Amino acid sequence: MTDLITIPGILLIVGAILLTVTPKKVRPALFLLFPVLSLLFVTSRPEGYTVTAQLLNYDLVLMQVDDLSRIFGIIFSITAFVAGIFAYHMKELGQQVNALLYAGSALGVTFAGDLLTLIIYWEIMAVSSTWLIWARRTRESDGAGMRYLIYHILGGGLLLGGIIWHISTTGSLAVESLTQEYTPANIMMLLGVSVNAAVIPLHTWLADAYPKATITGAVFMSAFTTKSAVYVLLRVFPGWELLTWFGAAMAIYGVIYAVICKDIREILAYHIISQVGFMVCGIGIGTDLALNGATAHAYSHILYKSLLFMSTGAVLYATGTSKMVDLGGLFKKMPWVFGLYMVGALSISGIPLFNGFISKTITISAASSAQNETAVLLLLFASAGTWLSVGLKLPYFTWFDKKSNDIEVKKLPVNMYIAMGIAAFACIFYGLFPNALYVYLPYEAYFNPFSAYYFVEVVQMSILGFVAFWFLKQKLAPEMIIALDVDWFYRKAAPSVYKVFVTGVDNLYDRAENGVLAITRFLVEKFRNPMRWLNPFTDKNNQASSYSPGLEVVLSFILIGFIIFIAAAMFY
Amino acid sequence: MKKIYWILLGILFLITLIIEFVYLRDYDSHWWNSIPAFYALYGLVSTVTIIYAGKIIGKNIVNREIDYYD
Repeated sequence: MTDLITIPGILLIVGAILLTVTPKKVRPALFLLFPVLSLLFVTSRPEGYTVTAQLLNYDLVLMQVDDLSRIFGIIFSITAFVAGIFAYHMKELGQQVNALLYAGSALGVTFAGDLLTLIIYWEIMAVSSTWLIWARRTRESDGAGMRYLIYHILGGGLLLGGIIWHISTTGSLAVESLTQEYTPANIMMLLGVSVNAAVIPLHTWLADAYPKATITGAVFMSAFTTKSAVYVLLRVFPGWELLTWFGAAMAIYGVIYAVICKDIREILAYHIISQVGFMVCGIGIGTDLALNGATAHAYSHILYKSLLFMSTGAVLYATGTSKMVDLGGLFKKMPWVFGLYMVGALSISGIPLFNGFISKTITISAASSAQNETAVLLLLFASAGTWLSVGLKLPYFTWFDKKSNDIEVKKLPVNMYIAMGIAAFACIFYGLFPNALYVYLPYEAYFNPFSAYYFVEVVQMSILGFVAFWFLKQKLAPEMIIALDVDWFYRKAAPSVYKVFVTGVDNLYDRAENGVLAITRFLVEKFRNPMRWLNPFTDKNNQASSYSPGLEVVLSFILIGFIIFIAAAMFY
Repeated sequence: MKKIYWILLGILFLITLIIEFVYLRDYDSHWWNSIPAFYALYGLVSTVTIIYAGKIIGKNIVNREIDYYD
């Protein structure tokens, strides 16, 4: 029993249930307790620790610890804690419960030792995160949440279908790496996981929903869904070549869209796709160094991306808008938020001494030691775009550009600063002491990021990128527009789909009902008096022309018999 | 931007060039290592490409009025 309750996934889910009966005042504090406990159990369980259970004929492995699951467990617990602090001022029960449920299910996926346990957590993750979008309570977030949910139900369904197919063909329930064979079961599982990893063109739910989620909800969301999918890809599909190119394509797709977008949180959402592209690319390369790179990058990414979402969330909280046209000139009013944001921005851009640098360079150097020079150049190209959008464009048009801004700025709760401060500290700490992260990496591969070569590479690219930005920045100036993505196809198709599957079906039922009613009416009228059928020759109104009833019956039978005879003669 | 920042940036760039030409002269793991200041050029070309690609794609294909979906 104690084994069961100390499984991080179950622990947080139990915590979420406890929150519902906790008084409002202590709820945020209680929230923080569970990630701390989870971190404790994650770090104290030895490698190879398992908890098993029996369901029907299946042996479930509810928890399985190894180096890979541990590092993800650590960062998920930390980020749940930090995001919990960021949301400390928020007293809404629904959001608190679902945030904890969401974090718990992500941790559950991480430690699931069998595919059935995994899919259960996977589905809880989809449902609980949807709440964090809907809780914004705007018309846009209602629609976006519904699209998000449908997309994830589709993805979960694909994954479940693939799992069932996989179990019935191989008989294996274990979450283990698959050999690269494109069987229907494998393809379905890969597609299902790809939905959550936001692999293009299955990424639209992310850019659609994250900018519309609540301020605190987006911080949780930036960490869990995509990164738990990266974990599953690392575990199940390492070295699947296709992923290299999809990853590189994601990395570039994200940065191009980030240039087009004019909403600060949407820019960050597209940069999740781009950064996850680096990880997916590393997973596709599949060497020990590349897998370490993907793992390390997921770890770093969660830290700096949650910091970025916290600081842009703080801007949204203070000003009430995340549209770039309304922002600008905020430096005097929000200098601290700017500073904290820049720590995250320098990290994601891979500037030396920040934590993005220590993980991004692993992936890129893994690509070059795998002789994949095309991938190296593509990833460097994407890096230039990251620096351009997150490092330069977003802060420039939010905190500078205008001399001043009349927009009213609300005071931020202290807990927001504390949370951002912790995340910023972690970004700098790991940037200065990369070995604090490297010792936890799952595969054997030595790497040292502090070499003259990487320094020259990054600094030269960044300086010239800055120069290009400075002279072309008016090309990126904010406008009142939205950018269409491939979600256009289903959003535009929605009315006709609705017509076919809702209005059409409704109409069909309507007609069928009317038809049945008409038939009933007809039959009731005609059969009210059977004698009318048996003596059709009688004119009721004219007694003189009528036959006697008996004769009529006889005549009717003769007539019917004659008709039957003719019919029989015709058919035989 | 103030002049002093540009000067600092220039000095930093000079340092990277010095490192490249003194310490990394014999470094040769990619074909592009023989091109002087390759990463600077690549950073410049990439950034300009991304800005214009984004601008062109936005203007011609994907940009719409803000209430497009309503």
